[in-house]
Amino acid sequence: MSLTDAPTDQPQASAQVQRLCDTLDVATERLERARPFAKARYLGPVLDVVARLLPIEGGVDAICKRAVRLDQAGLFSGSDWDRPESLMPQLVGTSLISDDPSLRALEAVNLARFLAVATEEARHDNLHVDGARHFLTQVLALNLRDVFGHSDEAARVMGERYETKRRLMLYIADHIGLTDVLGVLVSEIWRLLEQRSVQVGVVKDMIAQIAIALHEKGTEPGSTRLGAERLVSALFGPTAASLDDPGVDVYLDRIAHADEAGLSREAMGFARAMHDTGLVSDYHVAFLLWAVEYKDRPLIPEALGLGSTGLDCWRHYRRLIEDLIRTAVTPATPQAIYGMSTLLDRGVLHHAPMVPALDRQIRLKLRGGARERLELGFSPQASPETHLLAGVLQVIGQPLGVGQGANPTCQSARAIAMWALNDPDFLLHLVTQAAEFDTLLMQFEGQPINSADLPAGLAGFGPVDADPVSVLLVSHLDRIYAEMGRRCVGRAGDPHRWINPEFHGWWVARDCAVAVDVTTGDLADYDNFLRRFFITYHPEFNGNQPVTHPQPAGIAVTDPQCQFVGWHAISILRVGEDQSGDMRVYFYNPNNDSGQDWGGGVIVSTSGHGERYGEGSLTFEQFLSRVYLFHDAPLREKTSETAVPEDALARVRAQALDTWASDRQPK
Amino acid sequence: MTEKNPEKGYVAILGWSLNAIDAIDRFDRRYVVVAPPWAEDYCKQNDIPFVPWDFDRLNERSHELAHRLEDMGVDVAIPIFEETVEWAGAINAVLLKNPRLLGQAMLFRDKSLMKRRAQLGGIRVGVFEEAHDRGDVIRFLKRVNQTLLKLDGDPNDPIHFKAFDKSGTAGHRVIRTPEDVDNIPDDEFPALLESHLDGWEFAVEAWIKNGKIQFLNISEYVTLGYSVFVPATPELEAHRERITEEIEKLIETFDIEFGFIHPEYFLTSDNKLYFGEVAYRPPGFNALELIERAYGFNGYQGLVVAFDPKTTQEELDAFFPEPVKDAKGHAGCFGVYPRRRVVSRLEVPEETAHHPYFEFHELSDPREQKVAKRSAFGTHWGLAYFFGDNPHQLRDLLKKQEDLDYYV
Repeated sequence: MSLTDAPTDQPQASAQVQRLCDTLDVATERLERARPFAKARYLGPVLDVVARLLPIEGGVDAICKRAVRLDQAGLFSGSDWDRPESLMPQLVGTSLISDDPSLRALEAVNLARFLAVATEEARHDNLHVDGARHFLTQVLALNLRDVFGHSDEAARVMGERYETKRRLMLYIADHIGLTDVLGVLVSEIWRLLEQRSVQVGVVKDMIAQIAIALHEKGTEPGSTRLGAERLVSALFGPTAASLDDPGVDVYLDRIAHADEAGLSREAMGFARAMHDTGLVSDYHVAFLLWAVEYKDRPLIPEALGLGSTGLDCWRHYRRLIEDLIRTAVTPATPQAIYGMSTLLDRGVLHHAPMVPALDRQIRLKLRGGARERLELGFSPQASPETHLLAGVLQVIGQPLGVGQGANPTCQSARAIAMWALNDPDFLLHLVTQAAEFDTLLMQFEGQPINSADLPAGLAGFGPVDADPVSVLLVSHLDRIYAEMGRRCVGRAGDPHRWINPEFHGWWVARDCAVAVDVTTGDLADYDNFLRRFFITYHPEFNGNQPVTHPQPAGIAVTDPQCQFVGWHAISILRVGEDQSGDMRVYFYNPNNDSGQDWGGGVIVSTSGHGERYGEGSLTFEQFLSRVYLFHDAPLREKTSETAVPEDALARVRAQALDTWASDRQPK
Repeated sequence: MTEKNPEKGYVAILGWSLNAIDAIDRFDRRYVVVAPPWAEDYCKQNDIPFVPWDFDRLNERSHELAHRLEDMGVDVAIPIFEETVEWAGAINAVLLKNPRLLGQAMLFRDKSLMKRRAQLGGIRVGVFEEAHDRGDVIRFLKRVNQTLLKLDGDPNDPIHFKAFDKSGTAGHRVIRTPEDVDNIPDDEFPALLESHLDGWEFAVEAWIKNGKIQFLNISEYVTLGYSVFVPATPELEAHRERITEEIEKLIETFDIEFGFIHPEYFLTSDNKLYFGEVAYRPPGFNALELIERAYGFNGYQGLVVAFDPKTTQEELDAFFPEPVKDAKGHAGCFGVYPRRRVVSRLEVPEETAHHPYFEFHELSDPREQKVAKRSAFGTHWGLAYFFGDNPHQLRDLLKKQEDLDYYV
């Protein structure tokens, strides 16, 4: 069966395709004829016709038939696409929905060319059949939502552009098959899961798509299938009694007749799958809600998969935990179980204010604008209070799983993560304030700030594509952060020096080093900046002092081509040696996926180098080469007994100058 | 690179045009590009034969360039732009040992001399005069309208103002009021003033060799400065015989032995042909490209065969097709100007995009452009190309484009 949609009003479309093809051939001929130095002029018309051909039924096919000719005519000459071996699959999706029709057309012809090579219809000097196949596989995996027609609000807004992209993806999937795609997708999902994000909606969707693909298309047995099935079973059948995905009603009927040993096996099966993936099955929800009413509740700690700290909390605060389960865990909020489990294992309930604060949270009623925002962001199958409580458990259970969504609010996300890690009762205090009064009160150097009085900040009236705690707090935090910035206007130097300690808490060191001169943007006293970072954070130069509290820092983010992208807020969590003895900085990045390629060999690792869930890490020097701002303690000496070796400084400086600071050398 | 034929001529291209270079590089004649020094690096990188030269006002150094080209073995120089026409004349006078060629080129470069020469040759021209300052323009405007028996307060009939040495629509202004006169910048004087002729305006492209027309194309203007198509409608082509006679008169009057001319004519309602002006270089508005789309031959390569003294008649006969009959269809283009004062993006109008005659466009992105107020005929933001079988349908389609927004 073909995945491509059945053509509609075919005769009319095919006449149109024929006509445009004739025109395309005219335009292509002109391009072909032109000498290399004159080709640029003839590119526009070719891309114009391709762009018009793309959305028409049969257009993709026509383009694919001409891709090789277009390539040979010189369509890609002089552009990045001229070197197909160095193209990056993650950029394809964005180009295909760009608002520039020429770019969309160029990318479409590019994919068509890859397809021709992958299916051995054509040869290319710089592209081998395996390379082409691998590239297309990655493109499909990265755009799998489109292959299965899962459209979201953003896709609907784009209308035809999105449809065209989808049509192209389907065409490619039809021609190269989905087997390899699953392999790529499965490893991508495992990579994301290892970061234990609070938000798992997209990953769950992708796994559901894999389940459909396995069911519909089948795949050859092998490690891919094994990895895929492990993911699918974690969601749709993690235990003996749910293995065949029987539906919740049948499942509840089965466990009602199970013996103690069988129930215990079920509980452990759920816990194992949950801790393996960070994902919670709907059957797990059904089981836990059933178990919380079972006499003496023996199955709860097993079903949560608690470690010794968690078990200890369960024994101490059983009443609260049962209440939390009954209030926060619903079929609409399954991930609350994972949040609950990790929260208990962190031992934060032993911190005196936490028990009453969570009790207050259970009884909290959302009002006004706060309520509306949560209703907008989350499904109506559970009340906004339930979503918020589930979100609170997850955020405190997985502080490093907080992400900023598609919003320019890294500072706010960083603050929420920091409080969840460091000061959870303060976070609950803020949540209560925002929920009840739709405002936050903070102070800046003794002067009160009330977020309700402030104009909307970077995120407008707040994101709705983040976790419930962020949806509630970010619009307020964002405004307060901006207001603190306004109150620093006129002061010399970078305002973060004053904002960061006031905004986050006492533990942010009050001295601050900045790599660039704020007015010119040029590097200023950079060697000394680097030396200070060594002396503050590197155990060999700071007297072996560990990082006790997360410290905000500013990063100059670069892309895989080493080009400067922008300033970004992260926090430094700890500095230590990994298994192979390399000194690394472990940090939290509020961006939703920490595993980024910053170019020049600097690829942020998220697992395999001693990272805990949610941490990113780089070797000390690689990390420092991208830092532009950090805090250090005012009382501490700015010199070290052990001199920082000049060659280490030189290496870091060279990496910075090769990337973000290349045009920032003082004149 | 196309194999060059050493038996044939060696041509010098005067002026920088990538389209011309591209076409001629693909042709069998040896060539060299003579253009300003800024093009040198580009030519080196792309193996384009090149002689750097600053075409400022024609000066005594033209002799130096002529002898330099002669030493290289160049047979003839081909002007690509209005500014290089007199240079070609001066150089060809030396290369072809024919001093009259310089004088001929000066006629082409001076709209007033050109008009007088045509008049002397018995060619019908409108009323015209030279203007050296704004006073001359006002006087001409008044006199023309007096002649037309207009009373004070009646709206004036317009007159046309054309800077002497500018090509095409650059420096061409339509003057109706004294305010229009005030808006003429100083550097556009001296200029030619002409009465306005109501009628059908069209252009001719003629490739000439041995004093004979080798190929004659009629380009029909839908609206001057906006749109043109080739071949013309049967109604205009019906006058081909008379038009050919007019061109032969031009050839005789201007003593043209070889090359390429691009004259403009008016066909008035009383069925008389009026000569407007003539240029000795390729037309703007990509007319050669339209001809190529319709007939399949490259106009720049046509220029080379028409200029090269070593071209044979057999070669010419084989190169040029038969007018109208050999055309595969009618090709037209429309110069797009933004109609709104503020524009944010390019969007080809739906009805245009879906029209079977619409081919493609070369329009620039609005982010690279500013909407300028149009005073003289300005520069369009690019061309949209059309091709189809029915000339009337094409003409109406081109006319229709004037009411559509390409930039929104």
